[in-house]
Amino acid sequence: MTPADRGPDTRQLIAAFVGLADTLVDDYDVIDLLDRLVAHSVELLAADAAGILLADPQGRLRAVASSSEDAQLMELLQIQAEQGPCVDCYRSGSPVAVPDLDAAARQWPRFVASLAAHETYRSVHALPMRLRGEGIGALNLFHRRPGALGPTDIALAQGLADIATIGILQERAIHRGEVLNEQLQTALNNRVIIEQAKGVLSQLGGLSMPGAFDRLRTYSRERNLRLSEVARQVVQTDLAADVLSAPYRRRS
Amino acid sequence: MVDLPVTRALLAIARDTRDDRALAERICRACVTGLDVDGAAISLLTASTLRTTLWASDPTADLLEELQFSLGQGPCMEAATTGRPDLTPDLSDVTDTARWTVFAAAVAEQTDGIGAVFALPLQWGTVNLGVLDLYRRAPGSLSAVQLRDLVGAVEIATLMLLGLRTNPDGEGVNAWDGSWAGRAEIHQATGMVIAQLGLSATDAFARLRAHAFAEQRLLGDVAADVVARRLRFTDADEPGSGTTGRSTS
Repeated sequence: MTPADRGPDTRQLIAAFVGLADTLVDDYDVIDLLDRLVAHSVELLAADAAGILLADPQGRLRAVASSSEDAQLMELLQIQAEQGPCVDCYRSGSPVAVPDLDAAARQWPRFVASLAAHETYRSVHALPMRLRGEGIGALNLFHRRPGALGPTDIALAQGLADIATIGILQERAIHRGEVLNEQLQTALNNRVIIEQAKGVLSQLGGLSMPGAFDRLRTYSRERNLRLSEVARQVVQTDLAADVLSAPYRRRS
Repeated sequence: MVDLPVTRALLAIARDTRDDRALAERICRACVTGLDVDGAAISLLTASTLRTTLWASDPTADLLEELQFSLGQGPCMEAATTGRPDLTPDLSDVTDTARWTVFAAAVAEQTDGIGAVFALPLQWGTVNLGVLDLYRRAPGSLSAVQLRDLVGAVEIATLMLLGLRTNPDGEGVNAWDGSWAGRAEIHQATGMVIAQLGLSATDAFARLRAHAFAEQRLLGDVAADVVARRLRFTDADEPGSGTTGRSTS
């Protein structure tokens, strides 16, 4: 069985897209939207992990969202700032499919070695995030099984990557010259704030980094607050105590 | 690959630059040379109310900073408050200047004509060091490539200035390393030290750097130890962290 064998069921698909559209017309936080998108990518494409990388102004990719905040996946995403399917996808502007990573060791030695060290994923897909011909980043999908995604799944994955692009541009009303680069930089900077807030919560609550992120996300979603605004307050005020004492149910 | 002249000029700044005014001058000059603007200035927000103009390329650039500080409004103040660039390609457009009409009126009265003003916050995570202000006599937007160059250069400028502010031992901008920006562990470790010592983000970052410097280790490795809870900062001075220098905010 290859990853292509299991398409998402229609109801799942509708729920995901309606949910995303609902977010886009509301006042939302871009990192939170990207976090929802990677979760949907995993679910709808039967992936084992997914991540989004955005290009900084110098064209270097930085990881801004991943389906799991564990250090290993983040590292795997970050290695691709230098080599791997994501950076190739970003540079070429076309999807990159790697049905079997064993065959790609020569092409991307560091990336494949890092994967092999953890015996985790066997196939990778990267979908470009593009706006009017300009690349801004890539969506990365990881499967434990080897195999290429079918055309329908690739189209779906590209649709999710396109929503991410729209979401970044749309985050706040863009007026005058406030364009793409500024929105991108804001997203990258918000990610820095979130990482700092994870550190604060991790220290005060004795939590792992993924655990700290989960608390942050649950707290802001349940209260309908912006993820990066909550993160900012965790870093700059004593909101951390409130986040840590709020009722919390671990996500399965 | 597109040429980004301001980014390129910043990356070429001598690694032993130790004076923040000299650094600000280099950054402003790079903007005036590399972009289609007439003047540039960098002002620091040292405390919530105290502001210092580090460097201004000419008297007009200096006056624009002065006016904003005395009036308490303007694109620079806007950028500092919101943490987002405030880009005004045409100062005569009243919808563009509605956020700071008093400043716009003062500019019209006291200068011989400013067409466009661009203010970009010098921001690292929650830390806002100050603002880079650019002006042009003729109105008009920056191109997409110019803006990309500027946004990238501003991030480098911020990390360089932050590097000087958290300077453990006069090592200049040498310790600045572009890989900071993308290293999640460095930001996470900063957060952990904020909580361990009750410090601001800048001071927590200064402690991390001081430790790395004293132990002759890479900042990323020290950060990884903090995140893995192999290293914990306490109120007692860490070796080598007694000289965190001028770090405030």
